[in-house]
Amino acid sequence: MSAILSVRDLRKEFVTARPLFGTPTVVRAVDGVSLEVAQGETFAIVGESGCGKSTLARLLLRLIEPTEGEVWYHGEDLAHLPPERMRALRRDLQFIFQDPFSSLNPRMTVGALIEEPMRAHGIGTASDRRARVADLLTRVGLTPAHADRYPHEFSGGQRQRIGIARALASGPTVLIGDEPVSALDVSIQAQVVNLLEDLKDEFGLTLIVIAHDLAVIRHMADRVAVMYLGEIVETAPADALFEAPKHPYSETLLAAIPVADFGARRARPLVEGDPPNPIDPPPGCRFHPRCPYAQDRCRAERPALSPAGEGRAVACHRAAELDLTGLGDPTPKRSADAERRFDLYARALAGAVPTNNDS
Amino acid sequence: MTRRTGPLLDVDGLSIALRGVDGNLVDDVSFSLNAGETLCLVGESGCGKSLTSLALMGFLQSPPLSVAGGRALFSGDDLLTMDAAALREIRGGRMAMIFQEPMTSLNPALRIGEQIAESVRRHKSVSAAEARARALEMLRRVRIPAPEKRLDEFPHQLSGGMRQRAMIAMALANDPELLIADEPTTALDVTIQAQILELLRALQSETGAALVLITHDLGVVAEMADKVAVMYGGRIVEIGSAERIFTDPQHPYTIGLMSSMPSLGARRGRLVTVPGTVPQPGSMPAGCRFSTRCPFRTGACDEVPPLRILDGDHAVACVHAPLGGLGEAPLKETGT
Repeated sequence: MSAILSVRDLRKEFVTARPLFGTPTVVRAVDGVSLEVAQGETFAIVGESGCGKSTLARLLLRLIEPTEGEVWYHGEDLAHLPPERMRALRRDLQFIFQDPFSSLNPRMTVGALIEEPMRAHGIGTASDRRARVADLLTRVGLTPAHADRYPHEFSGGQRQRIGIARALASGPTVLIGDEPVSALDVSIQAQVVNLLEDLKDEFGLTLIVIAHDLAVIRHMADRVAVMYLGEIVETAPADALFEAPKHPYSETLLAAIPVADFGARRARPLVEGDPPNPIDPPPGCRFHPRCPYAQDRCRAERPALSPAGEGRAVACHRAAELDLTGLGDPTPKRSADAERRFDLYARALAGAVPTNNDS
Repeated sequence: MTRRTGPLLDVDGLSIALRGVDGNLVDDVSFSLNAGETLCLVGESGCGKSLTSLALMGFLQSPPLSVAGGRALFSGDDLLTMDAAALREIRGGRMAMIFQEPMTSLNPALRIGEQIAESVRRHKSVSAAEARARALEMLRRVRIPAPEKRLDEFPHQLSGGMRQRAMIAMALANDPELLIADEPTTALDVTIQAQILELLRALQSETGAALVLITHDLGVVAEMADKVAVMYGGRIVEIGSAERIFTDPQHPYTIGLMSSMPSLGARRGRLVTVPGTVPQPGSMPAGCRFSTRCPFRTGACDEVPPLRILDGDHAVACVHAPLGGLGEAPLKETGT
């Protein structure tokens, strides 16, 4: 595996309260994360609210400053680059937000928004850039005429397509998406997932996706990192993780997914309670208060993320002895006639309907 | 309550109009529900599922929205024509609701216990002490840890999952016969969602309440539903038992929606999607509202398709259903 991004012991602390006297309250949102993302893969970071996955994504591109740690990209440590060099490198490393327009100027036309990163990096002449805007709009399933319109004129799915076009404008090698499809309706989400995968192939991108939806992760990702309270508790190839998780928290997450199939309702080992407050994480393994397998050692000693064979790593003292349950066979149990109808639908769609016509 | 012979809730031809917009936002929606049953209304943004539930609760913003037709009999009384006082009496009493965001029904300035007690005293003549005891009992039943302590806390002191439990406790405090839940777990993390769904199921089997659950998530539907109504563009396009909807779906939209969901199993290539987007209200096609996105569209789709019963309680609003009958003929007649 040749790594395009290597992250070493990355940390981010936020001070949440600074009293006049005494010690400030510190949240370790990302607490010693190390990982490698291979060139050309789709790498997913999954976890629940407050686990630090969005902070980690922003640290990777230095949208926020890390407290400690290194992020290596082609021999340069992004975490310690001078600002002007970092700005130049942003051409290679782009971010897709959940709602790309929450942070953009609503008075700019879509064309100007997509052109902006090219201007910032001094790419091409004005007419080159205009041509590229038209080309990008077409590639994300819109039309060149959309360049003269304003963001508010577009639906959620179209806005995400525009956000993707803008992210692609500077010709990046790495795209990081923070919940890029989670605000979209299922049918639109599927269109955008397909689009991201097509563009990844077309432009040879490396994709890092932050998400809480495990089905989307399962579909898109080659490898997955599971986060809990600021730490990575498991990394594994996607198939291996879903079929045979090695960390009890991964097992818990998989068991909680509602499966869209009749009779799929499962008697599941439910974790009790909420995730603990990251201001005051429990000692030892951070998952131990909710873990059904916890022993004394887990309450005292913090497990390190250690290799577990087959390209996997897990941070659990009991990983070797536990036999955890993944998702069995989640193929929907449909009648033979129904399967024929699904097939008919897919073929009718492929033959009769042009793609990307959501205007 | 002894005079009831039909279903607990019988919605017939419910239509909702928006002033100045052609075509009803909710159009001719009918379903019924017996005590103890769970019906899921499922569909994407703009399908009319939430408007339907708001109309049942008398919460339509009127004007500009208004009920344009139909009835909704709750134990024989029409919720749509009932006077405001009678509806207030039922709401929070025999019929209760749960929302996606607990803070829409919890008062941020009142302690949890006070809110539940107040809701109890509004519908039952009990003493303050009895109401408080009931509030404590409810917090226990929704498995809130340290309920005595929570009783005197404010909503902001609770986590999202705990707030959702507190809202459920309040909704169930008066033993409702009907519970309407609009995306109750959508804002929650997946492990907390699993806890809340489990809780709803347990409480429902204890109390025998009927549940109308509004959701966009077919996984939640599969976990919870006895009956399913799939909505698109303000109409029910397919309705039936959960078993039929999941094992033998018939409407092209239901099939498209299920195809759009990424599988939890090994990857099977690109997702099959539903092309395009939902038309804006007011620019819905005259006939089948799904026709602008449907790969099976023909001239026959220019007429409004009736909801036809295919088998038992399974009904589909598609002139082409059952789709299998289309055989292998290529269906290229689309105008999109």
